[in-house]
Amino acid sequence: MSTVAPVRDPAVAPSKRDQWLRDARWNVVVWNDPITLMSYVVLVLRRLFGHDFQTATSLMLQVHNDGKAVVATQPREQAEASVSQLHTFGLQATLARED
Amino acid sequence: MAEIRKQRGRIQLRLDAEERTALGSIVNRLAKQPVGTAPHAYEEPALQAEYEKWVVPELEIARDADVAVVRKCLSSGEDVTPLTEAHALAWVRALNQLRLAAGNLLHLSDDDWSSAASSEVRESEEFRMLLALSLLQEELVAALES
Repeated sequence: MSTVAPVRDPAVAPSKRDQWLRDARWNVVVWNDPITLMSYVVLVLRRLFGHDFQTATSLMLQVHNDGKAVVATQPREQAEASVSQLHTFGLQATLARED
Repeated sequence: MAEIRKQRGRIQLRLDAEERTALGSIVNRLAKQPVGTAPHAYEEPALQAEYEKWVVPELEIARDADVAVVRKCLSSGEDVTPLTEAHALAWVRALNQLRLAAGNLLHLSDDDWSSAASSEVRESEEFRMLLALSLLQEELVAALES
C-alpha cells in the first residue's frame, strides 16, 4: 500500500455538473406500454421496490391511465440501478432529476 | 395450455409434450425479434450514451439468460417442472419479452389491443402466440403472487 498522499489532478476533479448529478434525487418513472400485463407491472413494482399490493396497484393504474408514474425517488446511482432492473423486466422506465 | 400449481411454496409447471413443442416453436419464432426501441433511461444524450455503453449489453445478456431458462425447461422431456422463485421470475421476464416481440411484430399500439385488433391481425399466427403467452404469463404471475 502506498504511503504517498494522492495528489488531486484538477483535470479529473469532479465538475460542478458531476456533483450536481451525484447530489440530486432522481425520480424513477415507469411508462405505459400497450402489451405488458397489468398484473405483471404490479408484481415487478412489488418485487423491486417492496411496495404493498395496494400501493403497487395504485401506481400501475397511474401508469395505465396517465401514461406514466413516479415509482421511486432515489440517489442517482440507485435510481439508475432501479431503471436497469425495470428494463431487465421489460418495462419502459427512465430517470429524471427531481424538481 | 399449461397447468400451474403452487405446493409448499413451490411452483410446479405442467406442460405435456405437445404443449412443450408448441411453446418451443413460439420461443424460436420470437426470441430474436426486436421488442421495440432500445432501453431508454435518460433524456440527456451524454448520460444515455453512457447507459447504452455500460448497461444495455448487460440487459441483453440477462434477457438471453431468461430465454435460456425457458428453453432448458422445454427440452427437459419432463411434463412437470418444479420452479424455484428465481426460475419462475426468469419465466415471467422471458414471457414478457416474447409478448413484447409479438406486439412489436403486430404493430400493436392500443391498450385495448385484444378487442380492438383487426380481423386480419386476429387471424395471424403472432396474435395467437401473443394470447397464449398472455395466458401463461398471467397464471405464473398469479402463482408468484399467491
